Amino acid sequence: MLASIVSHGLALGAVYALIGITYNVMFSASRVFSFTAGMLGMLGGVLGALFISKLGLPAIAGFVLVLVCGAVLGIVTEIVTVRPVLKSIEQHLYVLSTLAFALMVQQVTAIEWGTEAQPFPRLIPIGPGWLDQQFWLPMLACAVTIVGLEFLYRRSLVGRAFLAIAEDSYAARALGLPEQRLRLASYALAGMIGTLAGFSGAEMQLAYFGNQAVLNFYGFVPVALGGMGSNRGAVIGGLALGLFQQAANFLVGGIFAAVAVFVVFILVLLLRPEGLAGAASARRV
Amino acid sequence: MMDATASSPAARPRAAGWFARLEGALPWLALAVIGVGLPLLDDSYIGVIAQRACIYWILCAGLNLVVGFAGQIAIGWVALLTLGAYTTAVLTAGKATAEWHPYLALMASAVAGAVFGVVVGLPALRLRTFYFAMTTLGFATIVTQVALAWNSVTGGGVGTPGPVFPWPFDPGWGFYYFCLGLAALATWMTANIASSRFGRALVAIRDAEVAAEASGIAKPALLITVFLFSGALAGVAGGLFSSLQSYITPDAFTFDLSVLFFIAILIGGRGSIMGPLLGTIILTALPEFAAPLVAWSTFLYAALLLVIVLAIPGGIADLLDYKNRRPLQQHREIVPRPELLAHVLDRAGGPGGVIELKDIALHFGGVRAIDGIDLEIRAGEVHGLIGPNGSGKTTTLNVISGYYAPGTGHARLNGADLPFNAPSARAGYRIARTFQTPRIVGGASVLENVMIGGTIDGRGSFTESMLALPRHRRDEARLREAGMLALATVGLDQLGAVRADRLQHSELRFMEIARALMLRPAFLLLDEPAAGLSAEEIKRLGALIVAISRAGTGVLLVEHHADLIFEICDRVTVLNLGKVLAAGTPDEIRSHREVVNAYLGG
Amino acid sequence: MPTSAADPLLAISGLSAGYGKIGVLRGIDLTVGAGEIVALLGPNGAGKSTLLKAISGLLPRSGSIRFAGRDMIAAGPRDAVNAGLVHVVEGHRVFTQLSVTDNLMLAGYGMPTAELAGRVEEALGFFPEIAEKRAERAVTLSGGQQQMLAVAQGLVRRPRLLMLDEPSAGLSPVLVDRVLTAAAQLRQAGTAVLLVEQLIEKALKLADRVYAMARGSIVLEASTGEADLPDRLERAYFR
Repeated sequence: MLASIVSHGLALGAVYALIGITYNVMFSASRVFSFTAGMLGMLGGVLGALFISKLGLPAIAGFVLVLVCGAVLGIVTEIVTVRPVLKSIEQHLYVLSTLAFALMVQQVTAIEWGTEAQPFPRLIPIGPGWLDQQFWLPMLACAVTIVGLEFLYRRSLVGRAFLAIAEDSYAARALGLPEQRLRLASYALAGMIGTLAGFSGAEMQLAYFGNQAVLNFYGFVPVALGGMGSNRGAVIGGLALGLFQQAANFLVGGIFAAVAVFVVFILVLLLRPEGLAGAASARRV
Repeated sequence: MMDATASSPAARPRAAGWFARLEGALPWLALAVIGVGLPLLDDSYIGVIAQRACIYWILCAGLNLVVGFAGQIAIGWVALLTLGAYTTAVLTAGKATAEWHPYLALMASAVAGAVFGVVVGLPALRLRTFYFAMTTLGFATIVTQVALAWNSVTGGGVGTPGPVFPWPFDPGWGFYYFCLGLAALATWMTANIASSRFGRALVAIRDAEVAAEASGIAKPALLITVFLFSGALAGVAGGLFSSLQSYITPDAFTFDLSVLFFIAILIGGRGSIMGPLLGTIILTALPEFAAPLVAWSTFLYAALLLVIVLAIPGGIADLLDYKNRRPLQQHREIVPRPELLAHVLDRAGGPGGVIELKDIALHFGGVRAIDGIDLEIRAGEVHGLIGPNGSGKTTTLNVISGYYAPGTGHARLNGADLPFNAPSARAGYRIARTFQTPRIVGGASVLENVMIGGTIDGRGSFTESMLALPRHRRDEARLREAGMLALATVGLDQLGAVRADRLQHSELRFMEIARALMLRPAFLLLDEPAAGLSAEEIKRLGALIVAISRAGTGVLLVEHHADLIFEICDRVTVLNLGKVLAAGTPDEIRSHREVVNAYLGG
Repeated sequence: MPTSAADPLLAISGLSAGYGKIGVLRGIDLTVGAGEIVALLGPNGAGKSTLLKAISGLLPRSGSIRFAGRDMIAAGPRDAVNAGLVHVVEGHRVFTQLSVTDNLMLAGYGMPTAELAGRVEEALGFFPEIAEKRAERAVTLSGGQQQMLAVAQGLVRRPRLLMLDEPSAGLSPVLVDRVLTAAAQLRQAGTAVLLVEQLIEKALKLADRVYAMARGSIVLEASTGEADLPDRLERAYFR
């Protein structure tokens, strides 16, 4: 039983962590909180099932195609919902524009793909049991992403340009960095990470349009608690959330587990609005 | 009588007054006629849609105050509908307690809604926009989950029957009139709030929070009141909903429904009552009349929301606001009339006071923003505060106006300590201020912006405003008159009915001064009021400031324009690197070697 | 179209700019010739920083800007940098979470890697104090060192015109001299410098020509050789 809780918990936690990283990448590039993170996760599973199960593509090809779709969606998000409102003074407009776009995509999925959760194809025949592929695939994806991002940020100039824009976009612009192109690239990257998260976790979560709302929330919790922009916080928070959720599931049952997560989340936020590792807010007057 | 849109015809001459009011009342009359006459169509299908629209509007009327006016993105408000529905249903079904009478159960729903409205809304006081939106989503899910799980009371996934109201409000047209009546009541009450000082205060919190604080508006108290009221309306809507559905299950309360409410308000336009009302009616009725749309309805709502956000942020209300599309006169001049100040400031008598700062020091991180400053602002004097960039001028002003607490030193008003980190308390001390960049409510009229300055002088409570009782009406008349007088004093009375975001920058600066005058301030703090003004405007500004001080107000003038400072100030303090470099009369300062050097460097 | 020898490197005419509705600059005319140092002086709020931001494209503007014979009115900061017009903004805004070397590499973003490494060394050559901290994160540098790093960033591209916005702000007199010496070295190498400064005496010693601004307009233009300059400046400020 413990093994099951740990494997389920870490696996789901890895998915949540990746969604949290998706939020972070979009936020770092634009200072915008986007509702599309959960949407990308959901589509990772749905599109994966579509390409591999329904259209019969080989698993690798399907996987690559899913990532490409993620990148494209990220770019569309930036152009349609973020760029137009970045210039406006109204601060919460972008919350609504990304919400609207995410909802539109969710509805199209519900209508075209259906509202029933569909099974996700088995990619690697290892398992069942606690070493089942459905458990370690998300963790592998999470580890690869973290290593990849480290490499990107520390070793490549593009990655360091991302960090520069995240720290001070005005100075970056003045220095002559191609801010717009870099932001587009960030959103494409976020798109790929989001769909990767959904794809790797889809065997557990199934290809289901309802995953969007679930991932939106559970992917946000680690970011909110760990501090927006901190990938380390997202990973720790995500894994902890996954374990907590599975333990609560086991102890008190599914519904109360959900309630427990929400209550803890809201209480922590009320006590520390900037998260457990947050930064002070800017000068207002 | 309420206007159709948020802007008021305040500046119109009296003769056209009644016509303008009729013009404004027309859409309401039309809706009332349609509403009351609907049963004549004798179509029960339309009856159901109409009932649903009324019920949704009761919830949306309240949510409008939260989202449209206060600007809080409460996406998960459906939680309160669920709560209200189940409260009424469970109480009338007698599952948990003895059977309740439907009317009493409905009132219980109102109370439950009010309480949980505050619970759901409370995080808004601490959290950023997106975070708060997420917590409301969390609440919506929790409520649904609890409804699913609490089998014994709610019937779990199977559901529970809804109440049947007795004659004359039994199912059918009777119940329709019940819903219509409550919807009309909700409309009337929220419209009263909207055109009261509370409605203006909400919008101020949304668009110009620091200015709202400076005007004495206490955000927590006001938001909690609004959440209480809106929650109650949502609870009532829920109770009626359970009766309409006759049988409720948890999956009747979907996220789609929450989105519908939310989008109806945004499509309608923030800060308006008529707009969201039309929005709710349209969104409720639309899928019913176009069958293929039903499956795509949420998609369409979301697409509409995207279009609104990107193209018409003001929504339907903006489209209907033809009054504010009339072109303004091109070359407008601002001609203040300082002679009116005697009426505006209306001093209650008594000798002037003094604000004393002693040894104030403040750090930001490791940097000493101000390092041991002494300053005195006396009634009847204009005290100039100048210095290079980064010398601490604005920081000092922010300390006096209560936004920052100094590390050491104290600030006293007539000998009594001024509390810090309480900017909204300053208005009570009759300390008013303007801001470096004008903080205004773009979507409201100039007069409404100015009236925000007088919010704390209202006597009527929220309930009295809600029910349009006499004290509220007296408040409004008095505030309106004072606002027009303040506008006339600064020379903007011709622009009272115009949307504030159509004004030029210099006019906005004078408008801020008019807003500050509404407090009948004993002390007025001006933060670079001349920035962006033409030479002629600066002259008139100077004359106005002098007149304000001669009327007894103590003025602190933070400025870059050296000539304005030397022209009108009685005393000048020069700051450099957070310390006082020199203090004295303008002539003394002008010839002070060190001051000249500080400005010229070297 | 080849430029004649008489065409200045930077020629601005009728430039107006502001922030949102607030108009700050009112029809500025200004020139900077190749290889000369021009000082821009004036009290606070005069619009000096705004002018530099308008020139480099950080702010929307109207009027005419010609740089090296090209019309730059539609150019943003990236185009300006590519054309050889570099703006070091005020406040030593370096990327504190990145190393000194990274900061300099980013200044040359888009250049071929081999060449970039050489340019970074060249820029560090002007400021040995930060050269020895090249692998450390910029947050470990003092304010003065960060300012030197910011100026070094401006040098990576070997600009034809370098605009410095109050490079002496918050610096000790020794460091101020270091920065201004670097500017003089640039002039030797043929780079033009447009310098916004609060320290009038030092600016006048270094510069070839000076403009004074007040309330969004140019109120004085002179060569630094002219005799009664300090008095004329004082009068222009406190008019």
